[in-house]
Amino acid sequence: MPSRRAFLAAAALTAATSGCAGPADALLGVGPVVRVAVSWSAAELEAFRAVLDSLDVGYRVDLIPLGDEIATAFGSRTAHRPDVVMLPRPGLVRTHLRELDPLPDDLLPQPWPYAEVWRPMLCHAGRWYGLPFKSAHKSTVWYRRSVFDDHGLPPPQGWREWLALNRTLSERGVTPLALPGADGWMLTDFFENVLLGYAPDAYDRLTGPGPVSLSDEPAVSQALGLLGQMWASTGSADGVQRALVQQFSDAVVEVFGYQRAAMVVAPDFAEPLVRDFARGDFEIFTFPTVDEAPATPGHRSGPLRLLIGGDVAVVRAGSIPEARDLVIRLTDPQAALPWIRDYHGFLAPNKDTPYRDYTPEARKLAGQLSANGPALRFDLSDQLGPLGEGLGTVLQGFLAQVGGRGDRADLTVPVEWARRRLAELERRLGEFRG
Amino acid sequence: MALPIGEIELEVVGREITGRPVPGRPRRPYSPYLRGLPALLLASLLLVPILVTTATAVRTPDGLGLGNFTVLGTEQARHAILNSVAWIGVALALVGFGFCVALVGQRVPALWPLLHPVLILPFAVSALVSGAAFRIIFDPAPERGTVSALLGDSPVWLGPGWFWVVLISAFIWTWLGYVTSLFRAGLDAIPDDLVRTVKAEGLRGWRRLLAVELPILRPISGIVTLTLVVAAARVFDLVLITVPGPMQDDASVLALYWWRTSNAMPEPGPSAALALVLFAIVACVALCGMRGLRRSWAMPASTIPQPARSTASPAHRRLGWTMGVLLGLSWLFPTLILVMTAFHTPRAAALHGWWAPAGLGIESFTAASTAGLWQALLSTLVIAGLATVLVRVVAVPMAYLLAWGGLAEWFGKVVVTVLVVLAVTPLPMYAEPLRDLFDLLGLTGSRISLALVHAAAGLPFAVLLLRAAFASAPPSLIAETLRGEVRDSAVLTQVRQTYRPALIAVMVLEFVLVWNDFIVGLLISGPGSTPLSLVLWGEARQFATSAGTVAAAAVVMSVVPVALLLRFWPTVVRGLTVGTKP
Repeated sequence: MPSRRAFLAAAALTAATSGCAGPADALLGVGPVVRVAVSWSAAELEAFRAVLDSLDVGYRVDLIPLGDEIATAFGSRTAHRPDVVMLPRPGLVRTHLRELDPLPDDLLPQPWPYAEVWRPMLCHAGRWYGLPFKSAHKSTVWYRRSVFDDHGLPPPQGWREWLALNRTLSERGVTPLALPGADGWMLTDFFENVLLGYAPDAYDRLTGPGPVSLSDEPAVSQALGLLGQMWASTGSADGVQRALVQQFSDAVVEVFGYQRAAMVVAPDFAEPLVRDFARGDFEIFTFPTVDEAPATPGHRSGPLRLLIGGDVAVVRAGSIPEARDLVIRLTDPQAALPWIRDYHGFLAPNKDTPYRDYTPEARKLAGQLSANGPALRFDLSDQLGPLGEGLGTVLQGFLAQVGGRGDRADLTVPVEWARRRLAELERRLGEFRG
Repeated sequence: MALPIGEIELEVVGREITGRPVPGRPRRPYSPYLRGLPALLLASLLLVPILVTTATAVRTPDGLGLGNFTVLGTEQARHAILNSVAWIGVALALVGFGFCVALVGQRVPALWPLLHPVLILPFAVSALVSGAAFRIIFDPAPERGTVSALLGDSPVWLGPGWFWVVLISAFIWTWLGYVTSLFRAGLDAIPDDLVRTVKAEGLRGWRRLLAVELPILRPISGIVTLTLVVAAARVFDLVLITVPGPMQDDASVLALYWWRTSNAMPEPGPSAALALVLFAIVACVALCGMRGLRRSWAMPASTIPQPARSTASPAHRRLGWTMGVLLGLSWLFPTLILVMTAFHTPRAAALHGWWAPAGLGIESFTAASTAGLWQALLSTLVIAGLATVLVRVVAVPMAYLLAWGGLAEWFGKVVVTVLVVLAVTPLPMYAEPLRDLFDLLGLTGSRISLALVHAAAGLPFAVLLLRAAFASAPPSLIAETLRGEVRDSAVLTQVRQTYRPALIAVMVLEFVLVWNDFIVGLLISGPGSTPLSLVLWGEARQFATSAGTVAAAAVVMSVVPVALLLRFWPTVVRGLTVGTKP
């Protein structure tokens, strides 16, 4: 009789689910486990697994790879309910304090091993809500050494030099830059580097407390103009269409795999990918300082400034105690060594992490970060919330308009278009908030 | 035999025994309803959250109202609704195209045994896999992308506007086999004498199609249309994996926009309103489609297979062969590309196309395996197995109750209507309340919660299909069962011919659907249960450089459902068309 069979099966199921221990738990996925949401995929995910393995914790750790949708792991109404989030956007910590457990003071690492720049991001009302696990050097330009050598060109020091270099390369039939237009965060990084170099005061104002408006800030429009000049100088109109479907990794392949372009602006963690495709023919330079004189008084273009990002480990409110334990273990200066040694593309924020296992490039970038503490700035788009995400979309539209126009074209119209789009976005977000 | 008793003469006559001679039992009036209890419990996993979502949608801070629906006024929402409706249009066009292919297939019976599995194969793979295959085919880099390499100076295929070509190709590739197969089964079941009569009457071509085939195939068209419309309304993962970031807003559909809204907004109201709109669209289509189904699905099915026949002229046959061979080759192509890409190293797959002789190797499989493929495989197996068993165990008694349980007629109709609506309910209608429930129970991240949701979502369709199978039992037998004179198992024996294929169809489809699921896993799952498709999606984040890994994962992931579906497909088709035969 079907119903009797149904009952028996249901009873068997209940028995299977109510058992407290044993292989059935593992099979059904119940029992104590620390769930860690990460944005990493592919080799980076593998590297993080290696880090976890080397920590040898006594409990099960499960990873949720959420990719670019990592923000969905976070927030009050989320599906994933992880215990720990490895957040690639430290700016989100501030907006989600209520859903996070601050870390107990007595468990924090002593002496303090992190740069001061992390404090405003992670420490609120005297409590630390997350600890940095990985830093990202976002003011890096990767290029093919052979191209520069063949044409007798040195890496550019300043913005104008860089534009001139692009022009030279274009005239000699080499596409200077590969632009990963499909990844909004790559475009915002590019823009932020320009804005930070051009108008650091405005940058600090925009990332400071209080309401901000991108569309009302003259420095934003001027930086857009500079950025447009750079983007317009690269490739053809067709190339721009291609750039819009090009992700971060496509751009790296474009430069180092197909050798169709000379440079790509990409963070330090591009290293494993670059290494894989470039087969030794690569080099880095720091994003050139923007030596244009600002049009409005009060701005100063100062010394070197570096754009950084990073992944921070946060514990969600109500998580099991093992979650806190895992975060503390991850802050150990030695914790990330397997990643640094075997996978590359990792800069440790912890000052006590030994340099010996870094590749020469990573050592250079890590040294730059630790030597320039006061010059470090987190990316703007991360700190602007939804407006920051919208900025990426606006920049994609902007790229579509300016790309391939040549670096002497008049860009008033596209800049104004972008400014209007930002104003519209701000208005809409304001409405939603109201 | 006559018995004279006094002046009265009694005559005793024998009567044929219709049931098995088994001891009767006293009839318990409540017992039939008990059969529906497990189904009711499982279905309440959908019903209660649907009510909660509806309530959330109409509740605003100042009481009841339509304030949440202002979210529909935004440009993005309008765009998403339009796109969803356009997808439904694509689905309808595909039904027509599939019918034509079925007609061609009927003309060339010799080709069909080869063409059929080739067309069905894509139906067994997930939307993520087909999306990945088409993204590889249409890659804009001429070194990697097949189409870009063939056409030379072609447009940027994944760029603005052009991504539609890629999306729609992937959708058609997945669904054509299903449509064609069902229509073909329907065409084959048209009785021979009817065909002869029509021939004698001199009806040919279009007139014959309009007079004979189309009316007879109405119930099947109903099922096919319904399935495809639901599939079109559920397009979600296909867009996520195929369309590059900047174009995703252009390609947005209601389900996707709902997801982004529910993540972006702190209050649940607007996203609930969006879910309700999606639900309303799909439910309308379903209820319209059901009018045709309800009548015919209760009819006994003839399951006598008709011999293949061809009445086409040689010229027609040649044309049919050409078209069939072309179709078959182009349908095999994406699979071939996927397999070839998987057998290149990740580096080679990122640099060169699948045809390049350099860089062959199994490193992509190794990469996929370090990405957690095997654990996910096991996890998916557990979830799909649990859900399938649960559906089978719960749906059978419910279907029996619905077919012959002696429910009042109006009540039966109401239940069927509710089931049809539940069968097409989109996930956004119940995902969020369910998530909160599992969170409360501490079941988040467990495979049980995933299996439960899958079982609940699969239950309505299973009950409807099995009910149609049970309905083919002879009424007299049922009457005796209801009186308790015959055991229920006697009915099962009687309807085995229709019941078995229906049961196999239910189980195979449930297993394959759960195996290939992405969206339920994404919205409800936690990490430990990270099923295959989530791993695939994670790897596809930087598509070009992980094309090899993605292809390898896709190949491994597709082996089980493809094998299962190809093995059981003829039975599944028989099960699906139960009661739809003339």
